[in-house]
Amino acid sequence: MLSLIVFLPILAGLVILAVPSSQKQIIRIVSLLAAIVQMVLAVLIWRGYDPSLPGITATAAGIPQGSFQFIERLPWITLDLGGFGPLNIEYFLGVDGISITMVILTALISAIGVLSSWTIQKQVKGYFILYNLLATAMMGCFVALDFFLFYVFWELMLLPMYFLIGIWGGPNREYAAIKFFLYTLFGSVFMLLVMIGLYFSVLDPVTHNHTFSLVAMASQSNYIKDAILGPDNVMWRYIAFIVLFIGFAIKVPMFPFHTWLPDAHVEAPTPISVILAGVLLKLGTYGMMRINFPLFPEVFQASMYVIGVFGAINIIYGAFCALAQQDLKKMVAYSSISHMGYVLLGLAAANSEGMVGALYQMFNHGTITAMLFLLVGVIYDRAHTRQIDKFGGLASYMPVYAALVTVAWFASLGLPGLSGFISEALVFVGAFSSVTTRPIAIVSVLGIVFGAAYLLWSLQRMFLGKRKPDAAYELEAGTDGHEHIHFHDWKGKLDLDARELTMLVPLTVIIIFLGIYPMPVLGMLTTSINKLVEVLSPVVMTALN
Amino acid sequence: MHSLIQLSIVVLLLPLLSFVILIFFNRRLPRRGDFIGVGILGTAFALSAYIFWSVIVQAYDPLFKITWSFTWIDLGIVPGVGPLKINMGIVIDNLTAIMLSMVTLISLLVHIYSTGYMAGDKHYGRYFAYLGIFTFSMLGIVLSDNLFSIYIFWELVGLSSYLLIGFFFEKDSAADAQKKAFLANRVGDIGMWLGILILYSQFHTFNYDEIFGALAAGKFTLSHAWLTAAGILLFMGCVGKSAQFPLHVWLPDAMEGPTPVSALIHAATMVAAGVYFVARIFVLLTPEALHVISFIGAFTAFMAATIAITQNDIKRVLAYSTVSQLGYMVLGLGVGAYSAALFHLVTHAFFKACLFLGSGAIIHAMHHEQDMRWMGGLRKPMPWTFVTFTIATLALAGLPLTSGFMSKDAILAGAIGFAQAEGGGIYYLIPVLGFFSAMLTAFYMGRQIWLVFFGDSRTHLKPAEHHAHGHDAHHGHDDHHGEEHGVHEVSWNMRAPLVVLATLSVFAVYSPDPLDGAKGWFMSMVQTPETVVGQKPLVEHTVLTEANGGNLLLAESVVHTEQQHGTDASPVPAAHGGAEAGHHSSGHTFSDPRQAAIAHGAHEAHNPAIIISSIMVVLGISMAGIVYVFRVIDPDRTAQAIRPLYLFSLNKWYWDEIYDATIIKGSILISKIFAWFDSNIIDGIVNGIAVTVRKFAFANGSFDKYVVDGLVNFTAFFVNTSGALLRKFQTGKVQTYIVLLMIAVCGYFVYYFTQLVY
Repeated sequence: MLSLIVFLPILAGLVILAVPSSQKQIIRIVSLLAAIVQMVLAVLIWRGYDPSLPGITATAAGIPQGSFQFIERLPWITLDLGGFGPLNIEYFLGVDGISITMVILTALISAIGVLSSWTIQKQVKGYFILYNLLATAMMGCFVALDFFLFYVFWELMLLPMYFLIGIWGGPNREYAAIKFFLYTLFGSVFMLLVMIGLYFSVLDPVTHNHTFSLVAMASQSNYIKDAILGPDNVMWRYIAFIVLFIGFAIKVPMFPFHTWLPDAHVEAPTPISVILAGVLLKLGTYGMMRINFPLFPEVFQASMYVIGVFGAINIIYGAFCALAQQDLKKMVAYSSISHMGYVLLGLAAANSEGMVGALYQMFNHGTITAMLFLLVGVIYDRAHTRQIDKFGGLASYMPVYAALVTVAWFASLGLPGLSGFISEALVFVGAFSSVTTRPIAIVSVLGIVFGAAYLLWSLQRMFLGKRKPDAAYELEAGTDGHEHIHFHDWKGKLDLDARELTMLVPLTVIIIFLGIYPMPVLGMLTTSINKLVEVLSPVVMTALN
Repeated sequence: MHSLIQLSIVVLLLPLLSFVILIFFNRRLPRRGDFIGVGILGTAFALSAYIFWSVIVQAYDPLFKITWSFTWIDLGIVPGVGPLKINMGIVIDNLTAIMLSMVTLISLLVHIYSTGYMAGDKHYGRYFAYLGIFTFSMLGIVLSDNLFSIYIFWELVGLSSYLLIGFFFEKDSAADAQKKAFLANRVGDIGMWLGILILYSQFHTFNYDEIFGALAAGKFTLSHAWLTAAGILLFMGCVGKSAQFPLHVWLPDAMEGPTPVSALIHAATMVAAGVYFVARIFVLLTPEALHVISFIGAFTAFMAATIAITQNDIKRVLAYSTVSQLGYMVLGLGVGAYSAALFHLVTHAFFKACLFLGSGAIIHAMHHEQDMRWMGGLRKPMPWTFVTFTIATLALAGLPLTSGFMSKDAILAGAIGFAQAEGGGIYYLIPVLGFFSAMLTAFYMGRQIWLVFFGDSRTHLKPAEHHAHGHDAHHGHDDHHGEEHGVHEVSWNMRAPLVVLATLSVFAVYSPDPLDGAKGWFMSMVQTPETVVGQKPLVEHTVLTEANGGNLLLAESVVHTEQQHGTDASPVPAAHGGAEAGHHSSGHTFSDPRQAAIAHGAHEAHNPAIIISSIMVVLGISMAGIVYVFRVIDPDRTAQAIRPLYLFSLNKWYWDEIYDATIIKGSILISKIFAWFDSNIIDGIVNGIAVTVRKFAFANGSFDKYVVDGLVNFTAFFVNTSGALLRKFQTGKVQTYIVLLMIAVCGYFVYYFTQLVY
């Protein structure tokens, strides 16, 4: 099941390879079908998932029956390295409450990204092959339980992303693409070193061989006491934690490693921005939850405060930077930085409320930001500019668009009744309840005000009032006595067309539904999060019980 | 589930239904679906009235309370806490029943009124949809049984307020006002949110009763200062929503919205939600927090009243009056006059809604003229509006026989009692400000009545440049263009709500005794609850410092009400310790010494308060008469004489300018600095590293190219050139070889002989 959902896009890519590049429509339809099937599979996995089983880690006796679900485990690369012993790399997939949330999000955003890619005209064949490769790599990262396999998928993401920005991007695309590529590569080099260190420090509880299994690594009893990253080697464990954290923090992106994001977003085509903000950023925090924190719980405990401070910096700094932006897409990019700060803050709280909030925020930020970027794309397609000051009064002329923008903007600023609110609220509840992060939570609430400030201000400048004198569109008198507007060389429908509605309406429905009734998502992940909290903070456990 | 709970859920959801229908289908419905909005609100009001009848009339029990809740978020078995659920629920007590009826009634009246006022607007259907979502959110606030859900609905009323203030969004002033309102409210909300977080972090629950029970049982482990902070922070939500100083600046600007909206949201219901919320959390407020609240309320009441006396826009006068009256309510809660404050909330809702709808009628009839300087003489063409507006004005000014008199007097009596109980001194400032503001209120309302309804029409006096300033000018009243200057009474659908609201401003609705609201049903049914937090010792009660005995009793009573928490809740019998003293001014005796002293003082101060406030009102009205009716004092010359003070008032104490220069400019400056830092310093470092790496790479490349490759190439070159050189010798001609041979032989000989010589 999991193999299918991971490799389905790449199969579609192979099919596309056989289609002549002039058959653009067939290429698109093949991709869309693959994405739809992927979504159906995600729903099936969701239906078949038992939310009462925690996952996260294994006991000394290996994986307890049914802890991780949909497990697929095969030996993949087995080499005898002589003095080093045998090298065991496994093909090991499985989901728990944390990864299944991300699997569903990935399937959803991938499908919406395909729809959004419909307007790509340049080298369609190559585009969709790369796109499908990217979809496979992302999905693979979320279900891989073998560190080596995870690393392969992680690196596999870089290649298509580099070309998708570098070929199909805006004017400054090469700079953005190389910046993205180098930044991420920089992080993953260290990850490779830590991975090898961990391999030599951990024994599989059943076979007593060295292993890359993340499940085995998440249990401290499987570590060799005096190995390089064993419990005795405190200094190396700290170093490993920090470099691993930086590797993931670049992906989040966390201040001060965030500047690749605005550039990448501004240059990337709309669907790639959607994927980037909707899924890729989550890999950073997912990596922290799956690898960084549970493998080094005692280092995590020591650094909760620091992580929380960085979360607060992200929240407030991102919000202020967003306030200053003139380019709408750049503003949304900085809002992503701000909102991912909530995830960091929730993780730093290290209690159930905070971590549930963080994971839920990852899901909600995925849907909300995807919607934001799609909406930015809508206006960019028409006006060929994203300068906030080049509009004004759009609400009068594009009412449906304005209505959906209002919903998305308010979702982003955390209005109750929309999904973003619940996750942010839980993050704050958790961060405030933890004595460590309480002062940080108090400072971070400023983000609520300034988040509202930049969003409402941009909303006003673009949609309210009247047309600005130097706006990117012309006014013309309509036949029905009302004024209309006209964009230069835009032949399509003025307000949203059917394809755009097909992308935006499902997201709107999800955002509203999960804002009113969050349990369909929260129900999946609470058991795993509670287990994760137990793994991370045994001290808290004993103190309170 | 109790049938009243079921009914209240229906009442809550009906306006939401109206919103959903109208937002999607208004263009496909006849009359843009306004009859759906009116019909749904009519039904909601009828059901609320039934709830009111069942609770207030039938049960007639000061401690009536039923609750119901369900699990909204289940966090599973949380490490360190155990099973953790976040519940949503509904509480129905006397206060809820009263508020439910009040909100649905005013909303219904505003719906009816709007069918006339908003007729012809191009977004007519959308307007009713917005009213629907507002009513839904407001009812949610009223019915909430926990802090989390009240925060949700709190922000949702903020949204509906945002949408309605900016209803004429094509005007920049409206778009500015809606943004300002939302942001000012958000500032208050973050305080409220932090207050909620303090309580949650202690008790892992949001439910009022559970929090109060835990507090009474002394389970609050942080210091007393944290509890005071929690109270003040929660009160910040009220400061934002109820437009108290220092966040009052948004409410006058909110008058950019359609006038019926000003009546419903920005006068009667939403702004009062702040007061309602403080009442809900009243029992956890520490004495210190209550002091802060009372001073903020008193200052706001005074400040807003001083601004109202110089404003010329008819709606702005009413807006500042609203701020001032909300200040009274907050003051009332702060001094512990709980039932008086809530009484004033209800009476104010009716008479202020009446005033706003009346001013809407005037604006409508005057073709969107809002400046009182160009009105005058309207009592003749608009008799209905005149009479109802005057009744409401008298209630606002606080003249005997009106509802406002009773409620305001009860608050002021409470303020006197409070000042005495706290030992006088600075605390007397609160009643003094209260009484002084009462005089100012009478003055500015007298001025308004006079300028609008008496004298002769001054429309023709208006300078030409003012004509562009009509505030509601954006919705299309094409039907009026034919009769440009004829001012006439408004149609029945706008008149009827005025009559209803004016009727509800008369004393008889609330109490049989026009001089004592405490004898009426309202103050008997809404009684001051007992505090659940540790008391500060009073001067005359030093023995009861920790008041442990009191707390124990209290804990029992809270447990008692908690038992009712659940799905099969039934009305609580009136078996409370001291609750049988039904008609005492504060309802029942208190075990808390501070509360008991204040209640006693307020009771004693009842008559003095009546006398002083009546004198103040008469003074204020006479001054208005002296200035505007008899013109003994010329207002313009007076304004010139005290020009700095006049300008200070006219410019609203310059708060907008101060905020603009500090907070707004400051934030934008910070954002610019951060953005600069981001693109120059951080990206500078990143790019710098990139450049360094590239330089290094180039250097490395050069080394590679010139040194490493140079060596390689040199070898090749050497071999090549030497080969080429040597090749020259290989000519294939025997002569060349012979010559070379001869040269070699000669060379050898030369070498040999030189060896021999040396």
